[in-house]
Amino acid sequence: MASRILFSSSKILNSFSRLSITHQIPSNFRRCDLLNPFSLNNVPSINSVRHTSFFNKLSADQLWKGCTSVSNAGKKRGRARGIGRKKDLNKGQIIGVGKTNIVWPGLNAPIVKGRELVRQQKLPDNPDWEANLRKIRDTMSEFRSLKMNPLERGWTGAKVGGRSIGPPDPIGQNTFEGFDCRVLEMKLVVVMKGTLGRKRRQSAFVVTGNGNGLAGFAVAKSVEGKAALRKAKNRSAQKLVNIELCDGHTVMHDFYCRFGATKITVIKKPRGFGLVCHRAIKTMCEVIGIKDLYAKIEGSTNVQHITKAFFIGLLQQRTPAEIAEQKGLHLVEFRSENGRFPKVIASPTACRESEDIPGNEVMDFKQYMMNDRVIYKRKKYPPFYTKHRSWEIYCRRQEKIRNHDKVKLDMHLHYGEIRSFLTDKYPECRPPSGKAKVVESEAE
Amino acid sequence: MVRILHIWLYKDPAPKFIDAETQKLLKSITRLQLDKIFRNRPNPINTVEYKFMTTEEIENEVKKAFTKARELLQMPPIVQVEQANCQVISKDPGLDSYSNCKYVITDITYGVNDSERTIVVRQTDGTLETADPKLRKRINQIYFPLQNRHIRDPRMFEEENLRGCLDRHEYEFVLDRMCIQFEPFEQKFHEISSKVYLHINETKEFDILRSTRHFGPMSFFLAWHKMIDDLVIDMIKRDYLTNAVEVICLMYNLNGIEYDKGILKQLEQFTSSFESREENGFAIAKKGLEKELNETVGKSIEQFKIDEASLEFIDAFCKSHAIKKIQLTLCLQMYKEGNEEKKRLLEGLRKAHGVS
Repeated sequence: MASRILFSSSKILNSFSRLSITHQIPSNFRRCDLLNPFSLNNVPSINSVRHTSFFNKLSADQLWKGCTSVSNAGKKRGRARGIGRKKDLNKGQIIGVGKTNIVWPGLNAPIVKGRELVRQQKLPDNPDWEANLRKIRDTMSEFRSLKMNPLERGWTGAKVGGRSIGPPDPIGQNTFEGFDCRVLEMKLVVVMKGTLGRKRRQSAFVVTGNGNGLAGFAVAKSVEGKAALRKAKNRSAQKLVNIELCDGHTVMHDFYCRFGATKITVIKKPRGFGLVCHRAIKTMCEVIGIKDLYAKIEGSTNVQHITKAFFIGLLQQRTPAEIAEQKGLHLVEFRSENGRFPKVIASPTACRESEDIPGNEVMDFKQYMMNDRVIYKRKKYPPFYTKHRSWEIYCRRQEKIRNHDKVKLDMHLHYGEIRSFLTDKYPECRPPSGKAKVVESEAE
Repeated sequence: MVRILHIWLYKDPAPKFIDAETQKLLKSITRLQLDKIFRNRPNPINTVEYKFMTTEEIENEVKKAFTKARELLQMPPIVQVEQANCQVISKDPGLDSYSNCKYVITDITYGVNDSERTIVVRQTDGTLETADPKLRKRINQIYFPLQNRHIRDPRMFEEENLRGCLDRHEYEFVLDRMCIQFEPFEQKFHEISSKVYLHINETKEFDILRSTRHFGPMSFFLAWHKMIDDLVIDMIKRDYLTNAVEVICLMYNLNGIEYDKGILKQLEQFTSSFESREENGFAIAKKGLEKELNETVGKSIEQFKIDEASLEFIDAFCKSHAIKKIQLTLCLQMYKEGNEEKKRLLEGLRKAHGVS
């Protein structure tokens, strides 16, 4: 511009001084020529720049608090929902690495490389750098629950019960190799203290075992849940008992055991049956190494009582040799899988003859092992719907078509299609297939 | 193949098969191996039962198990193929074209044998005649179904599918299913069984059938057709010399070849000891069904004597009637060397123990 007039209204200047940017006026204001008729049309413009704000006055923590916190009253009204989470903007940033890719010897590169001195130099830009940084920041904003394999979530996933917490901590040389701890119960317990009033603690009930007959259980309490689990885990490792397994897959024999109001009937099962029992018993069996068993609980299902009853039962088991010795007879096994070929499992030192056995002696193995206790099996009644009239109608309708699926399969096998004895004579005598139906409906 | 079937058609093998001596030889050849007969098999309800027993009761149970084993080893018979003979009962021209389909009339009285049941057909031209075997089988299966037998032949027995089964060495499965689906007098029975036996003879997998009910018929088939060389070689390799001798005797018997029957009497003593295992049932039940150890480790002097006699007999067979002479001679030589060594070991042991 040819002629310049300084914009010098005192009013405006005052207002600038309030904004404390007066010292920048000479550089920040454009001068305009009032005498120039052309320039009169141009309204003088002011571009203001602030070099100070609460962004550089407050600390990062204070700033984050401002945008991520809600007042207590607001929280109650549900205002805390959907609010952002604090991000650590330093994450992913490395000193010396930035937008422009520069080698700084001594900062992000060695000073001497071989015999040569490394010089500061600019390298081509890394286009991924900014995207990577953004990605790292984005991952911080989302809430992520702890990802766990469904098989490792325990019984329900909501509570710790049934979850594995790893082997016990090593004691000296003993590293507890092959051991595993499972949580059976984790609950809040409360006690009244004279000085503190109501005191809350976490109680953890843990079972430990090596999957090969060695197992123990313990309960421990602590204010912190994690500490309670750790204490219970390590305590259970010091209370190990040896449990004998039959062929490494099931219990030695059927037995009945009880603790308090909890009564358990345990039935030995052949290979492949699996564990059909209460979840706590199942977890215990997995830890002990029992793979096939049926157990029925009668009475209370308090987990601690179940555990104690089951362990008592397991420890009271007798080996076949002991049973045979007590009975004075051979113990013989008959397996249906090999055609019931007799196999002597245990023999007494002196076997009795048939004349020596009194007529009223209990000879049934199951009855003998359960101490004359008979397992109550409820009678199975037909389901309720079989008494309805609709069931009768259903059965009558099913009678005609009960074997259709088998016949269809047989026809597909032998003819490759569904046909009738008339199909040869009348080729159109074929049931409509799924595709044909669609075509027909389109034609219509 | 064709030649073989012709023999079954025109020369009845049944009298030779049912013959007491043949049966005795076949049973001995089959070998009753408890661990194989009572091997673990899949069954729907897997149960384990325990019982308190006295020694006497256990021995009875083992005896029962032996009886059951013998029942399981009962051989399906080899009989001639039955020819269809339809007898015309009456011809009623008056009923001609009365209907455009045949009428099958069946006597479904309870308790009548399937083979004796009266089944007649009224043809469309009014002829009343007895049903042919194919129709009889179908009608019998419809009214009195046998478990696992199908009205149509399973596709497993079709040429291509059967080959697949045989290549997988599922001989026992094929033969068992064949016994269910077909009667021994049916053409198909002989066709399939001969195919299986020939395949086994080719692959030399005789051990798969050993101690099953099909080993006897297979040996009979091979002996009848004078192709026992591979079977004998297999038996020598497994140290079943007595069985090898028995197979050769069976072949001589079936084909009318003269031989010295003294050898069988000599062997009887040894085989009887094998059969008399039943006596000490308790020991068997105590041991369980573990694989029986090869008895060759502790051979007695008597056994060596029998071995020598058997080897002589097999040598004679090798020279006169064997087809694969070279292989058989080689196998015999190897066996003799092995046996010599064992004999020397036994003598050394006896000397060391001071037994003269």
